[in-house]
Amino acid sequence: MSSIIKIPFGPQHPSFKEPENFMFKVDGEYVVDVTPRIGYAHRGIEKALEDRTYILDLYLVERICGICSQAHTTCYTQAVEEALKVDVPPRAKYIRTIVAELERIHNHYYWLGIVAHEIGFETLFMYTWRDREIVMDLLELLSGNRVQYAMNMIGGVRRDITPEISSEIMKGVKVLGERMEYYKKICSNERTVLTRSVNVGILKTKDAISLCAVGPTLRASNVKRDVRADDPYAAYDEIPFHAVTYDGCDIASRIATRCDEVIESVEIIRYALGHLPTGSIEVIVSRLVPSAEIVSRVEAPRGENMHYLKSNGTDKPERYKVRAPTLANLTALCKMLIGGYIADIPVVIAGIDPCFCCMDRLTFVDVNNDKSWGWKGEKLRRYGIKWYKKQ
Amino acid sequence: MVQETIISLLQIVIFPGFLFFIIAAFFYEWVDRKFVARLQNRYGPLHTGPLGLLQPFADFLKLLSKEDIIPYAADKLLFSVVPIFMLSLPFTALFCIPIVNSTAPISFEGDLILVIFITTLIVISVFIGAWSSTNRFSTIGGMRACLQMLGYEIPMTIVIAGPAIAAKTLSISKIVQWQTAGFWFILTQPLGFIIVAICFLAELQKIPFDIPKAETEVVAGWLTEFSGKKLALLRLAGDLEFVLAGSIMTSLYLGGPSGFWFMPPFVWFIIKLTVCILILSNLRGLFARFRIDQLMRGVWKYLTPLALLQIILVELIPW
Amino acid sequence: MSMEEELIRHLLKKPVTLRYPYEKLPPVKGLRGKHVWDSERCIGCGLCATDCPAFAIELIGKGLTAELKIYLGRCLFCGQCEESCPREAIRLTQLYELAESDRKNLILEFKREST
Repeated sequence: MSSIIKIPFGPQHPSFKEPENFMFKVDGEYVVDVTPRIGYAHRGIEKALEDRTYILDLYLVERICGICSQAHTTCYTQAVEEALKVDVPPRAKYIRTIVAELERIHNHYYWLGIVAHEIGFETLFMYTWRDREIVMDLLELLSGNRVQYAMNMIGGVRRDITPEISSEIMKGVKVLGERMEYYKKICSNERTVLTRSVNVGILKTKDAISLCAVGPTLRASNVKRDVRADDPYAAYDEIPFHAVTYDGCDIASRIATRCDEVIESVEIIRYALGHLPTGSIEVIVSRLVPSAEIVSRVEAPRGENMHYLKSNGTDKPERYKVRAPTLANLTALCKMLIGGYIADIPVVIAGIDPCFCCMDRLTFVDVNNDKSWGWKGEKLRRYGIKWYKKQ
Repeated sequence: MVQETIISLLQIVIFPGFLFFIIAAFFYEWVDRKFVARLQNRYGPLHTGPLGLLQPFADFLKLLSKEDIIPYAADKLLFSVVPIFMLSLPFTALFCIPIVNSTAPISFEGDLILVIFITTLIVISVFIGAWSSTNRFSTIGGMRACLQMLGYEIPMTIVIAGPAIAAKTLSISKIVQWQTAGFWFILTQPLGFIIVAICFLAELQKIPFDIPKAETEVVAGWLTEFSGKKLALLRLAGDLEFVLAGSIMTSLYLGGPSGFWFMPPFVWFIIKLTVCILILSNLRGLFARFRIDQLMRGVWKYLTPLALLQIILVELIPW
Repeated sequence: MSMEEELIRHLLKKPVTLRYPYEKLPPVKGLRGKHVWDSERCIGCGLCATDCPAFAIELIGKGLTAELKIYLGRCLFCGQCEESCPREAIRLTQLYELAESDRKNLILEFKREST
């Protein structure tokens, strides 16, 4: 009782790339309780989206996250195209798929480096981030920018894939696939990595389903749920692939799941480049979007990404809501942390691939009266000042 | 008489004395950083000085010029004394190691025990530094440092007794003289060499045993609250311990400054010291970090029985 | 221990770091860098200013005598101005070293030559 001390992790902490606050109650080296406080990276994006036209919104949606940018723009353009009732040409769908899979490879290499850094394995961190430069160079060749590619537009994609770019991509992904096989071998054989990742951060299957985990976190607990397979979008209904699952429910399985997903992505890119249909890459669409309510989902590298759009016939959206995958994984994260060691906290948090900047949205829900409302910026500011004065 | 005093004063201050040890500490920190960087396919220090040789010195100077903050709740006397205490301990131990010829500046029967006692005192001063900081992260780091010490002290002491038993003396200088006349102990006690390398990694708090200083878990562990001049002295103390660890491994197992006749013994010592430090750096780049309970389990289950086995072999085999 | 051969092999390889600014990679074709404006083609429609997500383009005047002012400090280098222009008058080149120490130097003013 008296030996329980409270340790704050964050908002500034060397192991987080983004600010969040977790208040841990620890007893010796065991974690007894955890309380997350989110909202440090809240930027008011949903409100800003309502003030801008659809073309300007595309770039704002892209900047919700630095790494899942293609996933967010794909979700957005799918929603707007469905409201406009236009169909994107097949070549554009294939190009969107190729860029999305390249982004998935980028994200998983980045993540593997971060997890290696958290467990102290500096060498693997340096190697994976060196190999990540290959995929960033490929994306620069395709789109002109290393992150936030702006390849999508409402009605198709912006740039085409020429045969030279196609052969460069084939060469690059071959190297990436081979390196990932090597890293997978290392992570399943190296004793120091295994002692830090096997049976750490356990999330049982029924907990994963009841706490609504998404993405590789869910698939490493032996639940086969992948938006690309269940609800195909872009070109995924024409490209054969497997959704990867493992049944270890711990961090070692999550590492293995993501390594296998990279190898699957390499195969998808090869198939897509080999079967690229000819034709145009865009259709011209009108700037005014008729009234509709659309929900669109994509499989971002971190999990299932959902956007909701309500349009009203003008050239600005009436309401836009973003549900990022990390928000869904947050309750599962708290369940994983309790009962573990302090030394495992950074690894477990890094293991769900957190992207706190995607996550922070604000809404008020009154569960008893079944109401929900929002606050304007000025009211939020005054409440914040009052709260800090009370501390 | 005056000339002898002047010569021994020069020996203590310059060579092989304080200045030489400080230069060696900076040099070997550069060697460590450059080697680990090349293993990881990057450059390491590059611009300060030729090949980046002056980088550790530049880091030291920069820290000396930063603001020195003492936390409000810290125990001021202990907090200020710890860096000085931790700096003086490796210097004392380094004077007991023979560097230039087969006799060290301090050499008496039992200085091996003094050196091992100094390594224990280093851990105690780590704990005092952590405790007087009154910061949550420092407390956790200090407790972990003590737990770690409980683990590796025993196998290290047992195994270091191996060369002492074989040479029938407890003085490092006499062990080195025995090896010069006979053969190097690494040939008959390779297991001891490996165990000493692992235990020194734990004492220096380097990966895979840098649990008290784990950057991603407890900010900086027991070093969290030190800043400015105190941090500069603590980092210098850490580098000196690195040189001390390499020197002990060289003297006890590789014969110290003994070698063939075409180079002076001092150069041989430097070469062997560099080899030992490269081995420690390589181990640093190869592994991930252990958790504290896994460390204790591993040390008590595997290292201690192996250390006892090594001592039994030393007793049984007649040479 | 399984990474040891890989580590030793890297001792013989050249480090992969690029020593910028002494070594530079050539920029790719299609890199989105500094803007360049063709005054002959511009008709002053103002679509680039309307469609800029960062409100970084300002159109001074109207029609065939319009002039452009681009705030590079706000620009996202997204390329929407290039897309929206119906006459391909504004283009993004491959110049990417655009850092300045004075904010006034980051404003690009494109003027028409008076005939």
